[in-house]
Amino acid sequence: MKTFCVIPAYNEAKNIATVVSQVKPLLDQVVVVDDDSADRTYELAKASGAVALRHLINRGQGAALRTGTAYCLNQGAEIIVHFDADGQFLAQDLKKVLAPLLAGEAAVVFGSRFLNQGGPDMPWLKKYLIMPLARQVNKIFFNINLTDPQSGFRALTARAAETISWRQDRMAHCSEIMFAVKKNNFKVKEVPIQVVYHSFGQSFADGLKILKDLFIAWLSS
Amino acid sequence: MFQQIIALIIIAWFLSRLWWQRRKNYISASEFLFWLVFWLSAALLIIGLKFIDQLVAGLGFSGSGIEVLLYLSVVLLFYLVFRLRLKLEKIEKDTTKIVQHIALKDK
Repeated sequence: MKTFCVIPAYNEAKNIATVVSQVKPLLDQVVVVDDDSADRTYELAKASGAVALRHLINRGQGAALRTGTAYCLNQGAEIIVHFDADGQFLAQDLKKVLAPLLAGEAAVVFGSRFLNQGGPDMPWLKKYLIMPLARQVNKIFFNINLTDPQSGFRALTARAAETISWRQDRMAHCSEIMFAVKKNNFKVKEVPIQVVYHSFGQSFADGLKILKDLFIAWLSS
Repeated sequence: MFQQIIALIIIAWFLSRLWWQRRKNYISASEFLFWLVFWLSAALLIIGLKFIDQLVAGLGFSGSGIEVLLYLSVVLLFYLVFRLRLKLEKIEKDTTKIVQHIALKDK
């Protein structure tokens, strides 16, 4: 099966070459979408052997993923993986994420930081307050019952990627994708993944912004 | 009475600006119509302030007519900000579409 990986990147010159070189041997093609970086992310991604696309204006991670996914579908990808450019995810987890799709057990696979024994090694506030809160919001408002409420490591079949059309350009795309998967009744599987934290990542305020973005999208839909 | 005249002079100035902007084609016909109706309504409300006072008292509000108009204008402003936010959202989405189209076309 033709497997493609989309890596949205913004000012990731420091990590992009390493990430591409780790991911590339495990998949058929790596597509980096540079979201108008101020550094050399685009050039380095290209030099590392990835297909590099460039946004002329910064549009956010959700938009970059949409651009990359559209490219993969145009190129005949059968499985599309969404991966981060900051080196948080481990390339060796790709096998785990791809396995249920290759076996035909699921149409969408989400990597979960919370399925590992002992849970993720993440900041305390995030682990015990922000994430449980986000999980409850997903459960109450969107009827989504996944262990990781903001998983950015996911793999989809081409059919699922074609069907799910997320509209959120920024960080709210994670929740929107989960909601769209649920709405379209795609078979979902969660697999344990490891995340290496270089920074705190999304804060409580970011969580509120996600809710606000989803609310405005709902009003304007 | 004096305040009413001042308010009407200000509205007349806005109307003249509106007329000038339309003549120079800076605004569309629909936008012109919207603001024309808006300023004329404001002028009418100011002229009929006594009637509004009576109407407001008749409806059982304790404030004067001008106070009720102020409350209503705040509500209207909130609504306009909300409309503006939705419009902005649409522009954002359209910008993303163009950016994505160029990114895919350039490949």
